[in-house]
Amino acid sequence: MESFTPLTAALGGCLIGLASAVLWLGNGRIAGISGVFGQLLPPAQTLVWRLVFLLAMVAAAFLAARLLPSIGMGGDVPATLVPAPTGWGIPTPVWLAIAGLLTGIGTKIGNGCTSGHGVCGLARLSRRSMVAVAVFFAVAMLTVAVTGIV
Amino acid sequence: MANLKLPYLATAALSGGLFGAGLYVSQMVDATKVLRFLDVTAIPSGGWDPSLAFVIVPAIVIMFIAVRISRSRQAPLFDQAFHEPEYDRIDRRLIGGAVLFGIGWGMAGICPGPAISLIAFMPDDLWIFLLTMLIGSYAGSLFVPSGHARRLADAK
Repeated sequence: MESFTPLTAALGGCLIGLASAVLWLGNGRIAGISGVFGQLLPPAQTLVWRLVFLLAMVAAAFLAARLLPSIGMGGDVPATLVPAPTGWGIPTPVWLAIAGLLTGIGTKIGNGCTSGHGVCGLARLSRRSMVAVAVFFAVAMLTVAVTGIV
Repeated sequence: MANLKLPYLATAALSGGLFGAGLYVSQMVDATKVLRFLDVTAIPSGGWDPSLAFVIVPAIVIMFIAVRISRSRQAPLFDQAFHEPEYDRIDRRLIGGAVLFGIGWGMAGICPGPAISLIAFMPDDLWIFLLTMLIGSYAGSLFVPSGHARRLADAK
């Protein structure tokens, strides 16, 4: 299977784990991206560090693509997102808008996404996170199976 | 304000930087790759890509060690306290939110971390996803008591 990349996946996973550990032991904050992002809007009490975190995240992805051309993506980041599956009759921008809305609402009322629940929550042995992770992985797998997007 | 001091902001920058680099190196910014993990129907044909599991497991292990270290400390290095979620009830909001997020994630193969990191490469239509994610997040906050005190009061 040509697309299976266990080594770079694990290396990237270590960096993500380290990122979460640094934010937790340094600032006592959960590195949950939906939370960092979602609280940029009112009521935003801690806007500055959230902006710093997100800007650094974008800058690092940009730099990694240029400094590490042979690792991971190899500089080859797709110029487009995945197009909407054919047969549903929904144009890709509308499809992405629905996905974005659901992601925004779901992570807000469910209090987390892949990073906050998936990495930090499971590491804290949080019961809520275990349930959330089981549900969103199962539903995402079901969604992919039903839509036939890949 | 502790959270406007330089060490605090430098820690946020270091963490964000490691996170963005990790998402790039692990290729989790590639929606197709994420969808190929979520596509479990491809397991019988051998077309399944288990890479995402190899990302999340070491991340959890490292964070687990950090949580262990924090248990023997009063406070993090640069703030008064660890901001650990105290609300622990498994309720309809948690499940409902996870269901909605699961559908969104399965539709596009992008979760919030990769969505934001992709700004570095700005693929076509990314702005649509980012804008609607922000709108969705705000809409969600309107009917969810996200305040610390309210959530705890709710739990009583």
